[in-house]
Amino acid sequence: MTNTESLLAQAVDLIGDRATVQHTLEPNRFDLAVEPAKLLECIALLTSAHWGYLAAISGLDHGPDSGRLEMLYFFCNKAAVITLRVPLARETPRIPSICGLIPSATLFEREQMEMFGVVFEDTPNSDHLFLPDDWPAATYPLRKDFLTPAPPPAPEDSKGSLP
Amino acid sequence: MTAPSTEKFIVPIGPQHPALKEPAHFEFTVDSEMVTASSARFGYVHRGIEKGAENRNWIQALYLVERICGICSNAHSTAYALGVEKLAGVQAPPRALAIRQIFIELERIHSHMLWAGVAAHEAGFDTLFMYSWRDRETVMDLLEAISGNRVNYSMNVLGGVKYDITPALSDAVLRGIDLLGKRLEYYLDVATTEETFVQRTRGVAPMTAAQAESLGTTGPTARASDVQRDVRVDSPYLLYDQFPVTLVTETAGDLQARFTVRIKELFESLRVIRALLEHLPPGELTARMPRRVREGEVVSRVEAPRGELFYFIKSAGGENPYRVRVRTPSLCNFSSVLVGVIGHRVADIPMILAGIDPCFSCNDRSVIFRRAGEDDASAKGGSLPSAL
Repeated sequence: MTNTESLLAQAVDLIGDRATVQHTLEPNRFDLAVEPAKLLECIALLTSAHWGYLAAISGLDHGPDSGRLEMLYFFCNKAAVITLRVPLARETPRIPSICGLIPSATLFEREQMEMFGVVFEDTPNSDHLFLPDDWPAATYPLRKDFLTPAPPPAPEDSKGSLP
Repeated sequence: MTAPSTEKFIVPIGPQHPALKEPAHFEFTVDSEMVTASSARFGYVHRGIEKGAENRNWIQALYLVERICGICSNAHSTAYALGVEKLAGVQAPPRALAIRQIFIELERIHSHMLWAGVAAHEAGFDTLFMYSWRDRETVMDLLEAISGNRVNYSMNVLGGVKYDITPALSDAVLRGIDLLGKRLEYYLDVATTEETFVQRTRGVAPMTAAQAESLGTTGPTARASDVQRDVRVDSPYLLYDQFPVTLVTETAGDLQARFTVRIKELFESLRVIRALLEHLPPGELTARMPRRVREGEVVSRVEAPRGELFYFIKSAGGENPYRVRVRTPSLCNFSSVLVGVIGHRVADIPMILAGIDPCFSCNDRSVIFRRAGEDDASAKGGSLPSAL
C-alpha cells in the first residue's frame, strides 16, 4: 500500500459510516458524500486527528432543472485529497458554518455565500468579500441561471482617429 | 483625569495601494499605536473569471485563467492544463513537461525577486529594491527570449508547450542563472546582516508552526514558520519526481524568515533548472488533444510562487468547462495578516502585509459593469468596466 493509499484509508476509517465513499478517476482522491447534519462531526474527526488541511471550499450548481447544489470541502494531506460532498436543496441551501472548527474558513464561506447564495449558519462574518456592497440582492453569479451579459459595444467616441 | 474612552479608533488603509500597488481595503482598530483588531474587503479588481471560464471552450479558458495573475500567470495555465489533460486522458510528452518545469521555476525566480524589491522598499531600503529589480531583468529577458512575452507568456497549450528551448536558449538560461545565483547570495547576506533591515524584520509578526497551520497559510509564508509543506515535494507533478526540489523551511516565522526562505528556495530553483537543462528529454512538444473533454472531475495542484494553487475542474462532456474553481494562495495567506497585525504598531502594517507577498489580482477574479442611468437591479451587464 503506498503512502497516499494509506492516508486515504485512514481518512475513510476516521469518518466511518457517516459518509458514503465514492471513487474518482484519480487514484489519489476519494469523494465522501455527507449529509449537512453530519458535516461538523466529520470535519471535527478530521481536524482532531490532524488529517491534512482544508485546501478549499467550492460550490457546485447542477442547474435549476436538477434542483441540486453541492458544497465541496477539499482536504489535502500530502498527495491524498478527499472531498466531502454535501448535497443541498437549491431553493433553500443551508449548511452549518465550519468556522468554529477551522477559523480560517471564514474567507472561503464569505466567498461561497455571495457567489452561490448558500446560507452558512452561525458564520462569524456574512459581509460581501468580493462583490460590491450595492450588488443586487438574491443575485448569485456562479449559479447556472445567472447569465453573463454580452460584452458592451465600443463607445462612440473611441471609434475613428485618436485624439 | 477623564475616564478612558470606550470608543474605537479605526484606521482605514486602502483601497488604494495598501502595500503593493494594488487595491484592497483594510480596517485596523487601534489603541494608540497598537493594532487591536482588523478586517478586510477585497474584490476591487474582481473580474468573474470562474464564471467566464464556463462560457468559453477548453482552449479559450486556458488563455482566460492565464490572465488571473500578471505575476504567476504561468502557474495558473500550468495548473489548468495539467487538470484538463488529466480529465481528457492525455499525457503531455516528457520534453514538454521538462520545459514547463524550467519555465515555472524561472517564473518563481522573477516573482520572488519582484517581492524582495517590494519588501525592501516597504522596509525603507530602496537600494536593495533597485538592485533586485535591476537583476530581475535578467530573468525577465530569459522568459521573453523563450516565450516572446514578459507577462502572459502563453507558454502552455493543452497537451504540451508552444515553444522549444533550443541549445542556444539553454546556454543563455545557464549564463543568466549563474549571474542570478551570485546576486541572490549577496541579497541573502545583506538581508541578514544589514542593521536597519534586520531591525525592521527580525522578530516582527512571528508565527509559530501551529499558528501558521491553524490560519491556513500556504507557500513560503507557511514554510517560514517551519510548516513542512510544498506541493512540488508532497504531490509531485510535471517532472518533480525525477528532478526533485528539496523542501526549504525556516523556524523563526518572522518577517526575516519569510525573506530568507524565499531567497533560499530560489537556490533550489536554480539547481533544478540546471539539472533539467542538462537532461532535457528529446521528442515532441505537444500531444494531440480532443476538442471535447470526457465527463469527470479533477483536482489539480501546483506550487505557485505564493503557495499552493488549487484548481477543481468539472467537465460535463462538452466543449466548455462546467465549473472551474480556482483557490489562489493569497486568499489563504490573508488570514495570517488579519491576525498577525494584532499587537503590532501601525508602522509595521505595510511590512506585515508585504510579508505574505499578497497578490490582489489573483485574489480578486469580477468587475461590476454599469450603464449610465441603470438601476442596481439591472446593473449586471453593460458598459465599460470602470476599473479599467
